[in-house]
Amino acid sequence: MKTKYILYFAVVLFLASSCKPEVNDFTPDAGSADFSTYVAVGNSLTAGYADGALYKSGQSYGWANILSAQLKQSGGGDFVLPVIESEQGVLPGKLVLGPSTDCLGNVSLGPVPANDGDLDPWNNHIDYAINNLGVPGAKVGHLLFPGYGNPANLPAGLANPYFVKFASTPDITVLEQALSMQPTFISLWIGNNDVLGYATSGGAGSEITPVADFAGQYGYLAQNLFAGGSEGILANIPDIANAAFFTTVPYNPIVLTDQVLVDQLNTAYAPYNAAMASLGLPYRVNWSLGANPMVIVDKDMGMPVPEFNIRQIESNELVLLTIPQDSIKCAQWGSAKPIPDQYVLTVKEIKNVNDATEQFNNIIKQTAQDLNLAFADFNSLMKQMQGTGLVYDGITFTTAFVYGNLFSLDGIHLSPQGNAVVANYYIDAINATYGANVPKVNISDYPPITLP
Amino acid sequence: MRKITLLLLSFAFMSMTVFAGGYQVRLQGNKQNGFGLIGTPLSNGSSSIFYNPGSLAFMDGKLDFELGGSAILSTAAFQKSGSNYQAVTENPVGTPFYFYIAGKIGKVVALGLGVYTPYGNSSKWESEWAGKYLIQDIALSAIFIQPTISFNFGEKFGIGGGFIYTIGGVEINKALNYSGGAGVNLQGSSSAMGYNLGLFFKPAENWSIGLNYRSRIDMKIEGGDATFTIPKSLQGTIPTENKFDAELPLPANLDLGVAIQATDKLLIAIEFDWIFWGAYDSLSFSFEEAGELLDSQNPRKYSDTFIPRIGIQYAFSEKFEIRGGAYYDTSPADDRYFTPETVTLNTLAYTLGLTWNPTTYLGIDLSFLQTFGIKAEKNYQPDNFGGTYQTGAIIPGLGLSFKF
Repeated sequence: MKTKYILYFAVVLFLASSCKPEVNDFTPDAGSADFSTYVAVGNSLTAGYADGALYKSGQSYGWANILSAQLKQSGGGDFVLPVIESEQGVLPGKLVLGPSTDCLGNVSLGPVPANDGDLDPWNNHIDYAINNLGVPGAKVGHLLFPGYGNPANLPAGLANPYFVKFASTPDITVLEQALSMQPTFISLWIGNNDVLGYATSGGAGSEITPVADFAGQYGYLAQNLFAGGSEGILANIPDIANAAFFTTVPYNPIVLTDQVLVDQLNTAYAPYNAAMASLGLPYRVNWSLGANPMVIVDKDMGMPVPEFNIRQIESNELVLLTIPQDSIKCAQWGSAKPIPDQYVLTVKEIKNVNDATEQFNNIIKQTAQDLNLAFADFNSLMKQMQGTGLVYDGITFTTAFVYGNLFSLDGIHLSPQGNAVVANYYIDAINATYGANVPKVNISDYPPITLP
Repeated sequence: MRKITLLLLSFAFMSMTVFAGGYQVRLQGNKQNGFGLIGTPLSNGSSSIFYNPGSLAFMDGKLDFELGGSAILSTAAFQKSGSNYQAVTENPVGTPFYFYIAGKIGKVVALGLGVYTPYGNSSKWESEWAGKYLIQDIALSAIFIQPTISFNFGEKFGIGGGFIYTIGGVEINKALNYSGGAGVNLQGSSSAMGYNLGLFFKPAENWSIGLNYRSRIDMKIEGGDATFTIPKSLQGTIPTENKFDAELPLPANLDLGVAIQATDKLLIAIEFDWIFWGAYDSLSFSFEEAGELLDSQNPRKYSDTFIPRIGIQYAFSEKFEIRGGAYYDTSPADDRYFTPETVTLNTLAYTLGLTWNPTTYLGIDLSFLQTFGIKAEKNYQPDNFGGTYQTGAIIPGLGLSFKF
């Protein structure tokens, strides 16, 4: 009898050991969409541009590439990148975090030029068909412009070296090349550069695309892209003034610790204050011990004497990440010498950017509705990343530079983890619109920003 | 004896597979293990030191030893929300053990000493898994040492109590979101005190009631070692070698059980356990250096749980008994603060056991439990990390008892 029970015992043990917990409740599915040929159309964000360059690993961490791998699990096909072979990029400018010594001899950590080997020759033409038509620097109108990929137009500045690299024929438009892929699913994220060029030049360089032009170009582009009945998703433009590029350098970095210097500066600006007072204008420049706002050039002041188009910056105005910090520390920029216009976004310029962004975004949203497409609201996502930010997989994302995890070292383009967040945001919108079940990625699978 | 060897061999062939109910481990006697983990209304010799000091003085014989242990082969499986990503733990085998000795002085008083391990958790996820910024692995253990005194008043009423001295240790590894495989290792140990009180009442020969209360014990780690593996550029801000304080409550238990000797051979018992998990509100770490950056307060928001148990035992003879049991253990964790460091789901379990007494002095107890964590979707909101979890465990155990 004992034997029998002991044997029963052993049998139960054996059976129990063969059943293990498992969870497998998710079945990828395309819903009413067809992901078999996915084409991504856009600018540097779509291309996978990061750290001030389009380079090999950055390109593969681009959100479009991440998204394509998830779509592939839901019936999608291959997604071919115009592969960049160099880790340094195609054009110079790649940044890494590293120590640099400032004019005062202080060593600090910040973006410094990268040294990751030779550049990929931009004239090394890509001859194979590609699915990622993200062209760094492209505005809406550029995607419709024949010759934007023609090397003969480069000297006149009418062509884009990135599109030159992968345009299938010299005078094809980006739109035509996208349609030549016979896409079944298209993502279109464009319009950022229509305001960004203005913003990153402190309102001094490229103009904001007029709203009427944007509406015409965007409408034409979207209608033609989706004319063949393909499905897809449109994405709007994040309010660029939230990007780390504009929010990292404080407005008041002029720290005065010496009363003699304070007095000298106040004396130097006394004639300015007197002149402004005599003109009945509210502008004054005052200095005191501690942190002081910088003096900036503001061409919108419209003073009769151009030298008087200067004033102290307001706390709600933005200083660009590209400002030469050494000039502030050692060459009296911001105190004795006003900060040149191209490093500052004034309240008026910020309003121009915000207004244009809002109008462009209305056009994008309306187009998505008219064409029955999915819509990804990145403007709202980026707003949520201000302040305490958003958390995914235990990683906190904010708009802060480097430690905010969202932006790469150029302060505008996304980090690998930022790209993964964006890819998941696209997936949410696609799943909601098309009743699809595209699996999301683990944000924690993507590398953090490299610290030395 | 040859058959027992065979049985042990079948243990060795088993694959790894979870345990449940927070980080409590009630496997403190192999007779009770097989009997739905019921011990409060019984007098099973020296293991009453843990289950109910009130019944200790009802032991047969003058001197009683018990020793034994179990092997917890547990697995937790996970699938991330909105994703087909799956992960499975590679938990090391949990090995709760116990040792009890008790002696009777006259008819009224019994004295005893128990060493047992009622709390523990060893969870190990793959080091690069999706939740690596929450937890990679955790090993928590606590050894309780309990000298006990018990009184038997006229074979009807028993009361007993023990002083508990606890030695505990914890080790945690988690990844940090910095480049170069950054992470932190936390290791600390602690000792604390508590008590265990029991009442036992035997209104008639064929039935008994037990009530037991084990106090909450707070394991305070002071000056634990924190080792940060981080990029060089951060080492000026965050020291690589640091000290930390933390506190983990081991909750109080209130157990009430009734046992009925239905026939000469058949014993039936039910028990209800109330576990005061509400004590575990948050897990906080404070660091000696760079505290403003590193200190964290992590909500856990556990709630008290209630476990109903049933056990049935059949004695074929003086020499041979078989038993079985079942229980339902609810999860103390809050759906919104459910962390993969302790995957505790609502759990159903059955238990099996047998005792073979080759002589009147020696008893050999075998037990086997299987637990089924009920699949559920959970999220840890502060880290926005969630998914569907399922758990399972098989737990064989072997114990020896000596009676003189």
